Amino acid sequence: MSDDTPRPRLGWIDAIRLVTKRELCAYFDSPIAYIYAAVFLALSSSAFMNAFFLEAVVDMSSWFERLPYLLIVFVPAMTMRSWAEEHAQGTIEILLTLPLRSAQIVVGKYLAALAFYAMVIAGSLPIVVMLVRLGPADIGTIVAGYLGALWLGAFFLAFGQFVSSLTHNQIVAFVLAALLASLFTFSGHPQVVEIIDGLAPEWQLGSWLATSVSVLPQYESFVRGIVGLGALVYFTSMIGLFLWLTQIGLGRIRR
Amino acid sequence: MIHVEHVTRTYGRLVAVDDVSFSVRPNEIVGFVGPNGAGKSTMLKMLSTYLEPTSGTIRVGNANIDTDPVAVRQQIGYLPGDTPLYGDMVVMDWLRFVAGAHSLTGEALGAAVTQVVDTCGVGPVIDKRIHQCSTGFRQRVGLASALIHDPPVLLLDEPTHGFDPLQVMAFRDLLHQLKQDRAILFSTHIIADVEAVSDRVLIIDHGRLLADGTLPHLCDEAGLADPSLELLFAHLVSEIGVEGV
Repeated sequence: MSDDTPRPRLGWIDAIRLVTKRELCAYFDSPIAYIYAAVFLALSSSAFMNAFFLEAVVDMSSWFERLPYLLIVFVPAMTMRSWAEEHAQGTIEILLTLPLRSAQIVVGKYLAALAFYAMVIAGSLPIVVMLVRLGPADIGTIVAGYLGALWLGAFFLAFGQFVSSLTHNQIVAFVLAALLASLFTFSGHPQVVEIIDGLAPEWQLGSWLATSVSVLPQYESFVRGIVGLGALVYFTSMIGLFLWLTQIGLGRIRR
Repeated sequence: MIHVEHVTRTYGRLVAVDDVSFSVRPNEIVGFVGPNGAGKSTMLKMLSTYLEPTSGTIRVGNANIDTDPVAVRQQIGYLPGDTPLYGDMVVMDWLRFVAGAHSLTGEALGAAVTQVVDTCGVGPVIDKRIHQCSTGFRQRVGLASALIHDPPVLLLDEPTHGFDPLQVMAFRDLLHQLKQDRAILFSTHIIADVEAVSDRVLIIDHGRLLADGTLPHLCDEAGLADPSLELLFAHLVSEIGVEGV
């Protein structure tokens, strides 16, 4: 045994980087990650190409408009294992008894998922190259759309990981996260807003849900090429809230 | 090194650990023995900081698990029961990950990995994924990761689970080697393990500490002619039964 001088603790950046690296390797060690990326890109791109050839418009907005609906399924599929598997296999006991803070582990896992998501989204960049070559594409709107796609995914990943931290069962984690994603998405859909408003016109509940809860109005501002402060505040506060809730949930394991 | 004072842990209405106090000093191997469900694993989970005590105080070195759990984790090497490990990880990557979490980098990290690979005999599986390892090797990998930062305190929950008789003998030798300057607390329900390696035994049943001392001393106190842990345990449990506790 060495001397009694305690070894310095890992700094926040190093600790988060350590966890992120392990998690990213875990994503790429599994063939499921590659299948996931291929299916996502095939579905999102084929739907876009169909509209592209029919409408003959050098514009990527239809790809971005479909994205929230695809992510209702794809993000929960990504996040369902992140904590539920740790619970089920008991590895959470090892993880939480390493000299790391639970916040560092939560953020590390989250950033790994975000990095993987960003890589999958980056797989759509050939569409951008195609649009630029075919005609005068609005690069500013496309960049804003990708920023929106990143924020949207970052938000879905945050609550997906929170839901996964609540259960030992990956299927339960998937279903709950998909339900939550549906709530955040469809509550901003015009037809849904109209129906809910129609149920109790004096309350205007549908409109309130769309403006205060739904992710769609925030995301759609990016798709229109507007990077608004309100949307940034919405996304960062919601992401922060769900990461904090995940950390609180981990703390409850100990009690 | 380890100081446990009046620790109680409940799960709802179930009292898993009931007002337990003990300490473990450096250069000491303490066997924590009791039947399944006695509270051994719960006690070790609390010492590892995985669980909080419902009441009472736990200190490891100078660190209190309530106020500075990270400092406690820096000082302990913990092998949980059933050895939960990431099956998809390669053994070498896992050891490097744990070493990294303990702030080891560069040459120090490499030296620590080499040392534990040698000490725990995980060389034959170092490039395999953990799920490809036998139960015995998994257990050794778990032990290697518990030792990688050369901790002053070792907490081992059923460490010989999955070992064949030769591995058990090798493990007992290893524990004796590791004892130097270390406080080692290991739980088991295998009486032979405790008798073979422990300097002292803690006997627990239904969450309550029934005895704390060296085996000859405890047997002497109980009026047993042979220093046998099995007889001592039976004696203590029957005594408690008679008292109706």
